[in-house]
Amino acid sequence: MIVQFMGQEFKVNIVLGCLGAFLIAIVSSMFGFGGGPFMVPLMTVGLRLPMFVVVGSSLLAIFFNTLMGTMRHYQFGNFDLLLFVVMFPAAILGGYIAPQIAKRVSPLWVKRIAVVGLTILALNLLGVY
Amino acid sequence: MQKPAKMMGLACLVAAFGLIGAVAGLWAEENPTSGTSPGPQQSPAASAALTLKVDQAHLDNGGQVIVSGQAPAGKPVMLEVWAAARVRSSFFDSKPDKDGVIPYKLYLTYEMPSFYRIVLPKDRQAALNEVKGQGKQWALGEALKKLGAEAAFQQPAQAAIEAYQASFLASVIGSRGDLLPKLDDKENRRRAMQLVKARFRSPGNIFAAGVESAPDGSFKAVIKIPEGSAPGDYFVAAVVDQATRSQPVKLDNAITFPTVYMSNAGTSINLFWPFLLSLAIGTFGVLMGAGGGFILNPLLVSIWPLPHTIVAGTVMPTVLFSQGSGIYNYSKIKFINWKLGVTMGLAMLVGGFIGPKLTELITLDQFKFVFGWILLVLAALMLWQTTPGYLAKNKKEQEVLKQCKLMAEQAAKARKGEAPKC
Repeated sequence: MIVQFMGQEFKVNIVLGCLGAFLIAIVSSMFGFGGGPFMVPLMTVGLRLPMFVVVGSSLLAIFFNTLMGTMRHYQFGNFDLLLFVVMFPAAILGGYIAPQIAKRVSPLWVKRIAVVGLTILALNLLGVY
Repeated sequence: MQKPAKMMGLACLVAAFGLIGAVAGLWAEENPTSGTSPGPQQSPAASAALTLKVDQAHLDNGGQVIVSGQAPAGKPVMLEVWAAARVRSSFFDSKPDKDGVIPYKLYLTYEMPSFYRIVLPKDRQAALNEVKGQGKQWALGEALKKLGAEAAFQQPAQAAIEAYQASFLASVIGSRGDLLPKLDDKENRRRAMQLVKARFRSPGNIFAAGVESAPDGSFKAVIKIPEGSAPGDYFVAAVVDQATRSQPVKLDNAITFPTVYMSNAGTSINLFWPFLLSLAIGTFGVLMGAGGGFILNPLLVSIWPLPHTIVAGTVMPTVLFSQGSGIYNYSKIKFINWKLGVTMGLAMLVGGFIGPKLTELITLDQFKFVFGWILLVLAALMLWQTTPGYLAKNKKEQEVLKQCKLMAEQAAKARKGEAPKC
């Protein structure tokens, strides 16, 4: 598939892209997370697209997944309204607070802390400790 | 400029939820809400030889109740305790049977008591410890036999259980499969045991050894209704054997705001804590460039006794708004390639259709196990993003991104109608 974006043309292996997106969507909707951190590498590394093409379009692709996943979970009764009402404003508020903090912290260190935190949490889930 | 943008974002959100509501309405028959059943299901024959009373009938967010009574002398007494509030429980049978055939059947009930406990005679503590020592491989049926508690297990066995024959094809089109004929009483009881295990997980959550009997047949026990249990009525019945069962005694449990009962999750939680947790994780999630769901989901199932299905299904829609407003803002400056986004989005739409179905088919332990590996992969990705090679490349990319965005914004402002160039 040829993608035209801001006056430039990119050739994209859309079969690989769709297969990857499909698999990411299954896992992310199954476990209830967005999937952005997997979609961005898929599109930049797998499809060799530059970042400025990826940011908006990956968000659009993920939105399809989130919307469908939400409806399906709701259909199966896997939804608690009260829990949602509590977490929803917190998520929005987090979206406003984060950019304020972001100016003061180094993104490199945030990533490093995230690596350590994610590893600890993962090992806990795997029952290592 | 900023204000109408927000309004539009809000309108998008409202539209999105309207759509969800419409679809949900279509499927409403598949989704009966769990709630409270009206009162206790009557036991077949209440025995006059067995009496029971409680020292207090009102609890405030859990507490202890001292139960005492009189039973025929020399007989061990057990107590069955259950809540009127009902929750959903499901169990997917994928273990090969004795002929080596995998049944692939999904068992589902909406009538599992949100709290259930069998209090055993105190002298069975050793046997209970043995059951607890079996780890995750324990089975409720065996445990009941070993603990001599088969007569006490009655309430969950009366829950109506739906059985579905799942198949690969059915899973792909996102159906639970074919609804099988109603189970007979014996099979219902057997499956109820698996559902009780699926809901309460460990023997310590179902059994306690605490009934003290005197030689004259009088007995006494302390029942603990934990904090975070459902509000509403609770029932206690004394059981000696299949034929001897007392009238159930009613208790009630009240909870006060900000502790609220989440009827689908079957747990009362002080609202403050999940709010604080999602705020902290959500903020950190945005900072690290990954949605909060990655960290929030495993923490929610680890900290509170929330079912993983509910957690996955409830966390997912919380990001709809931020995604929707993000798309709106990018689209305003024509920063989205619709052909690429929609094509990949359609692939994701299919994936998102299948995924939530699979959540039901796995146990909490499998959920945690797979999530553990997902997080390790994510951690590796993040680690890669801190390597010098990636950082150098990323710096250039970010500059190009910034410049392109700026040009796109200017082009949008100029409104010349021509496509912006980068």
